Amino acid sequence: MFTYVVQRLLLMFPTLLGITMLVFFVMAFSPGGIGGPLLDHAGNMKSEDAARVREYYNKRYGIDKPKIVQYGRWLNEISPIGFQVRDDGSTGSFGFKQPSFGESLQQHRPVADLIAEALPVTLLLNLVSIPLVYGTGIITGILAARRRGSVYDNVTGIAQLGTWSVPTIWAGVMLIGILANREYVKMFPTSGLHDADALMMPFLPHFTPNGWVRGWLLDTGWHLVLPVVCLSYGGSAFLMKLTRGSVLENLGADYVRTARAKGLDESVILYRHVFSNSLLALITVAANILPSLLSGSVIVESIFGVPGMGKLAWESVLFRDREVVLAVTLIGGIVGLLSQILRDILYAMADPRVRYD
Amino acid sequence: MTEFNLPITSSLANDLPTSESESFTRSVTRNVFRRATARIGLAWIGILVICAVFAPFLCTSHPLLMEMGGHWSSPLLRHLAPADVILQIAFWAAAVLYILPRMSVQRRCLVWFAILFVSIVLCPLTIHPPQIVVYESYRVDQQAGKIERTIYAPIPFSPDDHLRDQEDVRLIAPNRDHWAGTTSDSADLLSNLIHASRIALSIGFISTGIAVVIGIVIGGLMGYYGGLIDLIGMRIAEIFDAIPTLLLLLIFVAVFTPNIYIMMAIIGFTSWVSYAYFIRAEFLSLRDRDFVQAARAAGLPVHRILFRHMLPNGITPLIVSASFGVASAILAESTLSFLGIGLTNEASWGNLLEQALGEGGTFYWWIALYPGLAIFLTVFAYNLIGEALRDALDPKIRKQE
Repeated sequence: MFTYVVQRLLLMFPTLLGITMLVFFVMAFSPGGIGGPLLDHAGNMKSEDAARVREYYNKRYGIDKPKIVQYGRWLNEISPIGFQVRDDGSTGSFGFKQPSFGESLQQHRPVADLIAEALPVTLLLNLVSIPLVYGTGIITGILAARRRGSVYDNVTGIAQLGTWSVPTIWAGVMLIGILANREYVKMFPTSGLHDADALMMPFLPHFTPNGWVRGWLLDTGWHLVLPVVCLSYGGSAFLMKLTRGSVLENLGADYVRTARAKGLDESVILYRHVFSNSLLALITVAANILPSLLSGSVIVESIFGVPGMGKLAWESVLFRDREVVLAVTLIGGIVGLLSQILRDILYAMADPRVRYD
Repeated sequence: MTEFNLPITSSLANDLPTSESESFTRSVTRNVFRRATARIGLAWIGILVICAVFAPFLCTSHPLLMEMGGHWSSPLLRHLAPADVILQIAFWAAAVLYILPRMSVQRRCLVWFAILFVSIVLCPLTIHPPQIVVYESYRVDQQAGKIERTIYAPIPFSPDDHLRDQEDVRLIAPNRDHWAGTTSDSADLLSNLIHASRIALSIGFISTGIAVVIGIVIGGLMGYYGGLIDLIGMRIAEIFDAIPTLLLLLIFVAVFTPNIYIMMAIIGFTSWVSYAYFIRAEFLSLRDRDFVQAARAAGLPVHRILFRHMLPNGITPLIVSASFGVASAILAESTLSFLGIGLTNEASWGNLLEQALGEGGTFYWWIALYPGLAIFLTVFAYNLIGEALRDALDPKIRKQE
């Protein structure tokens, strides 16, 4: 087991190298190349000004260097062991150094800062969504399996597939249009994560002499409702289906018949025996839900204007912002690969028959 | 002989009241068609196919027939694009071939593909519709009395007819003239929706086809050879598996100026991994079976062993997965178009939906409702079909029912 995990962790490096190389070279060989949309001002600039801008970018970010050199420099930058790079761009001695994600071409700020701002937002969205996805999915799934063939089961079966088929973009547009619209129901805010004056608010809700103050916590929660609904309904429907199937498969197993024969209570059979055996199938998809929530946040964040990782990724891709795109890809890749490894470990823990030797 | 049989075939044969002569394919098809949900799904796809094939006849600003100066003519036929004609030929050829008696399925498919190929080569060479089209001219001329009589299509608006001769037709709610309202550039929404069904259908089928072919080749080689090839192949698959697909799609699509063909290729290229995993797992278990050993001992070339002998035995789980794949390809295209980096010169359901939320918090409900509903119903239909296929093919589920 231990050797297996170490082996998988080591195999992450070539895979991550492949991922970033793929993304970098697709970007580099595209028409316009790296930073293309930043340099091309659609003819709004005099040619000498445009040349000056280009020269500035070349000097500061080295985007005129050969593509393989640019990629090598990026690798050197993120690696904790490598060449020191001086301010004038020349390389110094080889050794330990401070790894960094470099600087954004578009915003001229360190990428690490941009990520430090965006990551907590996406994590917050996902931390609220994941329990919701698992809670609703597993509970409705077990209920459907228990009442197999009943009206409840059939209705939820179709509803599940229907919910799963609703495109996130449609759900988002409809929710904003109906529940956050002046003409219809103005219940929720349309975009952002806080009201403009959220920083002035006290943390918790208060009654003040001037009236009701929502407070920072409630304000944030209020802004989160629609994005979280959009982010979680699909996964929840998927998980419900899966729970139902795997509980049903176990209910037909021999050990359940034995348990029934020795007179065990039905709920003990269901929740202690069948459910723990059904976990296996749930674990396999848990790993897939995490990366898919991350990519779901690209859609949700751009519809609801939430300044998280998804929005950062999308904007950086539009500007072909080399450093930010590579950093986001790297983080996305690490999350994806780690959740795959985590799945394998959990798999072995839940099922003693699974061995990795 | 038992080694040659699919495990699925044998268990299905026990369960189903099939006669000896009924083939596996036929029994599965019958089983799928028996389900109401699958029939609803197939019906919706059928409607879409009709819409896609007959779009230029259903909604067009060109009169189907008109009388001008005593002469009858058909502006519509003169303005048909090569693609429209190819679709017509393909559709009617399929219909005729379906009816023709006494012909093997393989033969029918072969003839159909031959006809399709010939028409794809010939139509662009022979058909040259006028490049510049002024849709308003018909309406203006008719009001001026230059055109005596016209017969229009049921929806007399082309998707790119911006109704320049009429005032204030931008973003109007559904009414008697525009059954589904108009878009932000004054075009008829229903006409756009019907024409966009072509994009949805073709993206779904072709990009899934590309993904399945890549998946079969890579997965097949990994499963058959194992060892080093397997290790390298798994790393390549892992690269595509570990990046969230949407991020990869964003990068590819934002970077290339997308037209519909590039879009299909990109979606296909980013979604082959699950098919490769399926085929690899299947082939790993098949390669030590006696019939594969026998084929190898007989000296058959590798491609023949892989595709003629192993593939038919390992393809069933792939069919289910491909059906869901079509749904997610359509979703991917509409999401990208919604985000504004997909198809830009053609209206697709996704970029129509994008216009629903206007400036300053206005909400055009008809633009949100109809394109969204179209995407949803199509995705739902493919998922229903996939579900029915899975139930029909999976012996485990069949046993419980």
